[in-house]
Amino acid sequence: MTSSFPRNTLTGAGSTVPVRRGAAGSKQRRELTLIWAFLLPSLLVFFLYRILPLAWNVILSFQQFSLFGESKWIGFVHYRDMLEDEVFWTSLWNTLIYIASAPIGILLALAISLMVNIEIRGRNLYRTIVFLSYPLMTVAVGIIWRWMYDEKVGLFNFILRYLGVIDKPLPFLQSFEWALPSILLANVWQILGFYMIILLAGLQAIPQNLYEAASIDGASPRQQFIRITLPLLRPSIFLAFVIGIMTSFTSFDLVYVMTQGGPSHSSELLVTYIYKAAFELSRIDYAAALTVVQFVLLVVLTWVGNRLSGGDAGARETG
Amino acid sequence: MNSRFRTILMSRFFFLPVLLLAVVFSWNIYITMHNGGLVRGRVMGPDGAPVAGATVRLMEQNFTTNSDRGQALTQADGSFEFVDNRSHNIQLRAEKNGFMRSEQRVVRLYFRAQNTTLDAPLVLQALPSK
Amino acid sequence: MRKNIAPKSRGVRRSPHWPLHVALIVVSALMLMPFYWVLKTSLTGENIFVYPPSVLPKDPHPFYYVDVWYFIPFARYLANSLIVSALAIAANVVFNAMAAYALTKNFKGRGLMMTLLLSCMMIPFQTTIVPAYLITGQLGLLNSYLGLALPTFSTIVCIFVYKASFDAVPRSLIDAARIDGLSELQVIMKIMMPLSTAAVATNVILSFIWSWNSFLWPLIVVREPQMQTLPLGLSRFLTYHENTTGALYAFCIMVLLPGIAIFLLAQKEFIRGLTSGATKG
Repeated sequence: MTSSFPRNTLTGAGSTVPVRRGAAGSKQRRELTLIWAFLLPSLLVFFLYRILPLAWNVILSFQQFSLFGESKWIGFVHYRDMLEDEVFWTSLWNTLIYIASAPIGILLALAISLMVNIEIRGRNLYRTIVFLSYPLMTVAVGIIWRWMYDEKVGLFNFILRYLGVIDKPLPFLQSFEWALPSILLANVWQILGFYMIILLAGLQAIPQNLYEAASIDGASPRQQFIRITLPLLRPSIFLAFVIGIMTSFTSFDLVYVMTQGGPSHSSELLVTYIYKAAFELSRIDYAAALTVVQFVLLVVLTWVGNRLSGGDAGARETG
Repeated sequence: MNSRFRTILMSRFFFLPVLLLAVVFSWNIYITMHNGGLVRGRVMGPDGAPVAGATVRLMEQNFTTNSDRGQALTQADGSFEFVDNRSHNIQLRAEKNGFMRSEQRVVRLYFRAQNTTLDAPLVLQALPSK
Repeated sequence: MRKNIAPKSRGVRRSPHWPLHVALIVVSALMLMPFYWVLKTSLTGENIFVYPPSVLPKDPHPFYYVDVWYFIPFARYLANSLIVSALAIAANVVFNAMAAYALTKNFKGRGLMMTLLLSCMMIPFQTTIVPAYLITGQLGLLNSYLGLALPTFSTIVCIFVYKASFDAVPRSLIDAARIDGLSELQVIMKIMMPLSTAAVATNVILSFIWSWNSFLWPLIVVREPQMQTLPLGLSRFLTYHENTTGALYAFCIMVLLPGIAIFLLAQKEFIRGLTSGATKG
């Protein structure tokens, strides 16, 4: 079927050789089928594990789920339960605190990436060292930090007592006020390198001649920073902020290993509560409702971040 | 074609895993040559003289438990030998007559059943009388 | 920017860099401190019961590592993690390349597809765990290698990494190949992939890191002790033995080493891939 006309019509750029229309059409159709065939495996994975779960979560949240029999439709019952659930409010609040402290990490990373961006000897080494914490297994990171926070033999207590800041050991991970910030610090330590890479890429994309022109015009370094660097970094900062929001999800590992959400849910995040509701309390439907709330929170925050950073900030797509 | 092979061979992605495999392989060969499970040592009295007829007990150490694995008697020159040690974390203690006992020596090995000889002899001390 | 720009300072010495070095060294020390601390304890067993801690290791010995090797089914966990990661990497490299190649072509619905994919990126894995568990159960894949690896078989970030690389291949090459009669699959294998080694490297590294370190999904899917992957084994060890032995920290180090090694080995490609603009929010 393909042998009857020249092969260079395959480019699809518009055949100038008139051929049997059926044949040309079927060639394009075959190419289209092939394209969809190539997309199929990835699409299948995304459908099964992203899209379908999203939809199913919504459905589940309105049902009373039963593994063996029929699931009953019960409307907003779970959401009403949620409003009265103290643990939900605590975990929501903790998650918000987590997200609100992302800017601190981003600020630190910005400072570091500014320093690393300067052409000094060994900058690649510094960059590697800072980034080294990212590819680590979060469970191991949790165990390491858990021990550093230990009340009796931990490094932090030792340093604080040595410096005379406190005179009795502080049970970081067992105290109501310090559990969440402690986990937060471990999280910042791990994600700092990733922020740095994103910001560094943004910094290096800023054309040098802008700075040169500004200095010729007499702008001070600080002015150059505020007027040139920051605005042009907005997309990168937005990206880093979105990653920061995501870490309130990916910190499941840290919370699980360091505090299990305790004491008394003071370090419980939405994501850990969802896990507990689904797999420890066997309330899969309630967990689905919690997930819907979490997802809505994510979308709202991302949209807000997008607006704050000048709109359409994520659209730096390379051609 | 030759230069492409050479680039692949020299590339750190090929070279390092191969090196790693070579190290693992030679380590395993070393292990098979030395895992006879022999544990040898000497027992001395508090005066420095070798002690014959002392009972040496071998214990296997786990994270939480400690289990008895056998006994051996010392020869005339105070030396003893176990031939079936299967662990990598063992403890040895020598006793004589119920009156003399040595410390509980912890011996940690690099691999299970590694042949080992104690550097320092087990020294019997008199037990404090009640 | 604190950058010293030549035109202004012509003839004037650039300001000294040593304060920068000092600051960066402090930062580096803070970032490396946890590593050093855990490495030290894994080699000496100090600071587990004893206070105050010592800064330098006293009498280091490797025997905790031997303990980990024998007392924990480390080899088993390692094998499980390796198999799952191998599956994930293989699937990622193949499926993402295919999808990215399809996306480089102009076809009806391409814009829609791209929007769909980008919006899928907004769905974090943690918001899918409950239904994903149910789906995996329905598929009968609970507690299996395939079930463990399946959600990670394709990621959007990786597709775009490939796409950026494929887009850079000149059209003429592809056309010439088609004239020579190569099928689509052959075009990918013989032209696109060899020219996109950086993208392949980034895909391999990213999919390795994500599958190797993943904890929540194995926690949900694994139902038997011998199917556990390394992160699960590590957290189980912590639950049983808490802080009582240096072997816990030796376990940590053994578990961290592959990630660090792979990263150090391929950091150039890795960072290049991440910053090529193909990483989207």
